Amino acid sequence: MVKTVFATLACLVLYGILIVPFTEYLHNRPFDEKMGYIPSVTALRIVAADHKELVAASLVSKVLMYFGGLSVKNENDILPILPDYKRMSGILHGAVKLDPYNMDAYYFAQSFLTWDVKQYKLANDLLDYGMKYRTWDWMLPFFAGFNSAYFMKDYPKAAEYYKRAGELSGSELHFSLAGRYMQESGQTELAISYLSAMEKGERNPAVKKNYQIRLSAFKEAHRIELARDKYRQERKAEPATVEQLVRAGYLTPAPVDPYGGTFYLTPDGKVATTSKFAFGGKKDNSQNDGESHERN
Amino acid sequence: MKTIVAITLKGIFRDKVFQGIMVTALMFLFIPIFASLSMRQVTELTITLSLSLISFILLLLSVFLGGTSLWKDIERRYTFSVLGLPLSRRSYLLGRFGGTALFVIIAASVLGIAAFCVVAYSSSIYPSDRPIVWGSMILCILFDALKYILLIAFAFLLSTVSTSFFLPVFGTIAMFVTGGVTQQVYEYIHSPASKTLSPFLKQTATALYYIIPNFGAFDLKLYAIYGLPLPANGLLMTSAYFVVYVGLLLSVSSSIFTRREMR
Repeated sequence: MVKTVFATLACLVLYGILIVPFTEYLHNRPFDEKMGYIPSVTALRIVAADHKELVAASLVSKVLMYFGGLSVKNENDILPILPDYKRMSGILHGAVKLDPYNMDAYYFAQSFLTWDVKQYKLANDLLDYGMKYRTWDWMLPFFAGFNSAYFMKDYPKAAEYYKRAGELSGSELHFSLAGRYMQESGQTELAISYLSAMEKGERNPAVKKNYQIRLSAFKEAHRIELARDKYRQERKAEPATVEQLVRAGYLTPAPVDPYGGTFYLTPDGKVATTSKFAFGGKKDNSQNDGESHERN
Repeated sequence: MKTIVAITLKGIFRDKVFQGIMVTALMFLFIPIFASLSMRQVTELTITLSLSLISFILLLLSVFLGGTSLWKDIERRYTFSVLGLPLSRRSYLLGRFGGTALFVIIAASVLGIAAFCVVAYSSSIYPSDRPIVWGSMILCILFDALKYILLIAFAFLLSTVSTSFFLPVFGTIAMFVTGGVTQQVYEYIHSPASKTLSPFLKQTATALYYIIPNFGAFDLKLYAIYGLPLPANGLLMTSAYFVVYVGLLLSVSSSIFTRREMR
């Protein structure tokens, strides 16, 4: 009996001595070791049997925990370790092959693929894949729309995504963004017709008013576009300013931006406004970066 | 036969299998904590974990109860005393199967209630964007139970030809894994990607596809987790498949067991 108690106590002491370095060793393993070998998606499908969703969730959770752990470590470290984004992306892509509905995988992958890795196309391809399955989810087209507009400057595509997001969420903001990007991509007429349809179908007075203001601004911008084109055609020259179009009689009455801004022509002939088609967006023409509120 | 069903059920409860399940079911308590780590789909992850836990427990029950039930009776020579009564071997086998299958349904129901409580709790704290379709969850658990009853029928078939529990237990596990991938293999060999495979291999794989039980059809987790509309036609066909396949397995098992020499 005494021997057994002694043996148990000895084992407990040894366990106490071992457990700290053992935990330290496991905690500090490199990424590849920590994540373990992850077989191909085909192999995982076979091994996962009827637990594909569980395996997908565990892959996402592994990546999240790795990333979270590294972030905490980097905060306290002089030499921060760059996360293995390629591997993280590969695992999350594998997770959505197992469970194409897993929102955590899309949400997390698109966030680091755009802001950290600058793989905008890869991020949007992943979101496109998700949209095929999560057909009810406005977030995926919303993210893709933002990536297209903000990172890729692909305004027609952004408008398309925001339109889809708006249709799914019913949110006025998404519809407005869609209309805005249609306008910025030079598809002013399309934007006008799109917003007109939205305005007609809207029952909420405040939202309807919002559509009407945006619509009126786009119509004014389109009027300038037509005047500019007529000026080019008749005078075989580029108009320098909007005021020049008004003075020459091509634009009567003078255009008014309902958002309180001033319309102007950019050096490459695009129509823009200091308001950026938003209240409170007015700023000096010279400071305008021309980023996203011009059109052909 | 009803008596054998009742005896089987009592025997399983007497062996404290139910208590074992309840201990394993304590893991349900940790599910909301783990699911709360999800960024965007806490409720969906709660449902995933709950359904997977139920499926895992039912798998263990099917393998061990299905694989050892008959073997234990023969090994302990219970069969001699039971079959001495005015009872056909077929009734005895079907009674044993019925009792085990009934226990799987009872276990699935109790675990299902635990899962509903966990999901309701999780979704009250982190409301989901998707509606929770409780009906789909019930059907998912029901079809999971049917799948494992089919597996039990297969374990019984192996038990009728085996003299040890190794073949029924390991054979059932192998059948579970194989039955889960047959559909993928079938789709692969009928896709352009398989053009390099020999025609003989393709024909063999196709033949095996028709023989081996297809468990893929019973998996409704995706529908239950994300509240997707269930394919009514598919469910009806799967139910019919279950009835026919289990009927076939039990007929063959009865036929072998009736002719089996007992020593």
